Amino acid sequence: MDQILGYRPLFDLFLLHLGFAYSQYIVLRAGAFSIGNVGLSAIGAYTTAILTVQFGLPMPVTLLAGALIGLLFGVLLALPLARLRGVYQAIASLAFVQIVLSTNLYAENITGGAMGYSGIPKLAGTGTLLCFVVATIYVIWAVSRSRIGRAFDAVREDEGMAVSLGINVPRTQTIAYAMSGVIAGLFGGLEALHSYAVEPNQFGFHLIIVIMSYVVLGGRRSVWGPLVGVALLIALPEISRPLADARIMIYGLILMAVMNFMPRGIVDTLIARRARRKARKLAPATLKPEVQ
Amino acid sequence: MKDLVLEHVHKKFGGVTASNDVNMTVPAGRITGLIGPNGAGKTSLINLITGMLPLTSGHILFGGQDISTEPADRVARSGMGRTFQNIRLQKEASVLANVMVGFHRHEKSSLVSAILGLPSSRREDAMLRQRAMALLEQFDMTDHADSPAGSLAYGHQRKVEMMRALATDPDLILLDEPVAGMNDVEARHLAEIFRRLADQGKAIMLIEHNMRFVQELCDYVYVLDGGRLIAEGLPRDVVADPVVITAYLGVE
Amino acid sequence: MFAQQVVNGLIIGGVYALFALGFTLIFGIHKIMNLAHGGIFMTGAFIGLYSVQAGLPLWVAFILAMIGSGLVSVIIEVTAFRRLRASGEVEFGALISSIGANLVLVSIAQILSKTQVLRFPFDTFPVVMFKFWGLRVSALQLAIALLAVVLVIAMSWYLYKTSFGRQVRAVAQNERAALLAGIRPGMIYFQTFMLSGMLAGAAGVLVGLAFNSIHFMMGDPFLLRGFVVVILGGLGSVAGALVASLGFGVLQTLSVAYLSSRLSDIIIFGLLFAVLLIRPNGLFGRDEAGVLRGRR
Repeated sequence: MDQILGYRPLFDLFLLHLGFAYSQYIVLRAGAFSIGNVGLSAIGAYTTAILTVQFGLPMPVTLLAGALIGLLFGVLLALPLARLRGVYQAIASLAFVQIVLSTNLYAENITGGAMGYSGIPKLAGTGTLLCFVVATIYVIWAVSRSRIGRAFDAVREDEGMAVSLGINVPRTQTIAYAMSGVIAGLFGGLEALHSYAVEPNQFGFHLIIVIMSYVVLGGRRSVWGPLVGVALLIALPEISRPLADARIMIYGLILMAVMNFMPRGIVDTLIARRARRKARKLAPATLKPEVQ
Repeated sequence: MKDLVLEHVHKKFGGVTASNDVNMTVPAGRITGLIGPNGAGKTSLINLITGMLPLTSGHILFGGQDISTEPADRVARSGMGRTFQNIRLQKEASVLANVMVGFHRHEKSSLVSAILGLPSSRREDAMLRQRAMALLEQFDMTDHADSPAGSLAYGHQRKVEMMRALATDPDLILLDEPVAGMNDVEARHLAEIFRRLADQGKAIMLIEHNMRFVQELCDYVYVLDGGRLIAEGLPRDVVADPVVITAYLGVE
Repeated sequence: MFAQQVVNGLIIGGVYALFALGFTLIFGIHKIMNLAHGGIFMTGAFIGLYSVQAGLPLWVAFILAMIGSGLVSVIIEVTAFRRLRASGEVEFGALISSIGANLVLVSIAQILSKTQVLRFPFDTFPVVMFKFWGLRVSALQLAIALLAVVLVIAMSWYLYKTSFGRQVRAVAQNERAALLAGIRPGMIYFQTFMLSGMLAGAAGVLVGLAFNSIHFMMGDPFLLRGFVVVILGGLGSVAGALVASLGFGVLQTLSVAYLSSRLSDIIIFGLLFAVLLIRPNGLFGRDEAGVLRGRR
């Protein structure tokens, strides 16, 4: 029993990072190359933290505030970013993260600056985290099967084609940014209420890379992609000590290997392979030869 | 029932004139052909009509409305469907999923009900699935409903594009080389479908290199060369027109 | 005082130029955003340091650092990027793969340096000050300026005057046409990545000397600021990178001197964001800036 409980912090980490991963996943799914969700999480985290510590507001309110402010900034971010494409969108979102980070460092009076903001009561336990994760996965699954999900996939795959079907691309991507913002802000708040303290550098380049690794490894299309990605990368260091020490190098090698050999990520690659196999069994005469 | 009318449509890219004073009518209930040698400007014209490119001058009217400055997605939503010369499908997605995207402009469920997975959204989803399957039946593709679109033979992929375009329930369908890569049987099957669609009141614009197909199917043909219309009329007249023959053979 | 800061800014701008040139070169020619560039920069600093520690004279260490970084850059091209070219979605794939390569470099450096901040031995570079026109300029700053100018001229000569350089520019213009014309891709990739790495390595040594600190994380802040420079100048534009580097160096130095380093960051990245909104092509960029086309 003790052994299982001993894994609880790890499980909490898994749940929190799963939330972050979904926030990144949803924008990528809609074809928006934005990595700004980390900045949105930072804003959510500080909002929740300050409302809790300074104003003593209860958890549902502070979390809602975090999610709403994430939504607000997500949509604000979408407005300029929806007009950019590719690396330009990525760099602009990176600039946003840096601006948030620097602002948090600068506004010491409000945020505590480089020392961080501490003394946050631990109101969010494993149960709370689990509830929100389940809710998030449900929403993402529901959206996947809906009109919006289909629009996301169309836009991501081929914008010109999506437009020819009457899909309003900026509007579709803005919805993705909004969803990303809500999830990011919410889980930023949960992080704050779980970890006693937050500090600006926590939501920087390093976290971006970690979250991106989850999504790249697991898959950017299937709803289960992030789940697999986070599970594997969090479990890996626990399996062996030497792996934990070389964590950064392992992450790097995984990123290189995945992009070169399994660019769609584990889950999406497996799903695609199974679908192709089924199709082949169905009517072999009508299928064109497998081009790799 | 909407007609498409092009009035003095003109398009310049820097020094190059892609479309030169093009006047054309694609009436509802008819199949209108657009032919011309490679490089004639057919693709540019399609892009002008669908809203992917801005006009330099002239007007495009659809169902009486001036769509000359409308962005592409709005043009599509006003009832224009198209297929692409180089087949643009979602390769990894199933045939069914590809077709269902076509229903986008008609879906009524709100964003909130979609996000929450409410029954109203799920009901509409089930209905759309049925309608998509009906389309697949029409095109004899029900066996492939769950196959990834990218794994099909070219002829089948073209059918998927057609089904998707039909799913949008358009008033005008632009078909860009729809029977390329198909055998005669499949082409004939499609021709019957096009005829039926025209009879239902849709306007159909057909771009094709397959002359026999054009002759058999089109009610009226326009010939484009170097961005200009060099001939127009009934298929059998146009095909015999010396100007047209010269354009294709390049005889000076 | 103001003029002094401007001079300081120009000098640091020169280093940024070396960094940014290599970065914008790879993007301009291969359309790849190489985020391992920061790691290569750091590698140069490390090689330079270890060479000096091994007793080699500074100028030898400098050359070794450049060559070493160039080779590391080429290795990264082969391991991280080569396979991707065959598949689609090169943009995203190359970005992620380069992040991975960077992490590998950083972790190696972390292990080698045992997470310590390292310094060049005290007498590596003579500490001499020159005073003129009321300005104080150190011998090191002059050396940096001189080297930056020399290297930029050398690179320009290579790109615009040699046949190799012409081939490189042909590939940048239109890769397929260049291949059809018989240009061998392997040679081009080798040269461009080598060149880019050499410039980054040079910048690394100079920064290590100038700030007297070398550590495994030194690449990241430079990379982030490198983004600002290349976007300002226009991705893929050599002239733009040069102009923007100098301007950026001055802007950063002034804002740190007169405001604060935090505020300076906000200004810099705010500027980057604004430029991407208003004029993503930057000063001289040719690239389509991936802005949504069509009627709007």
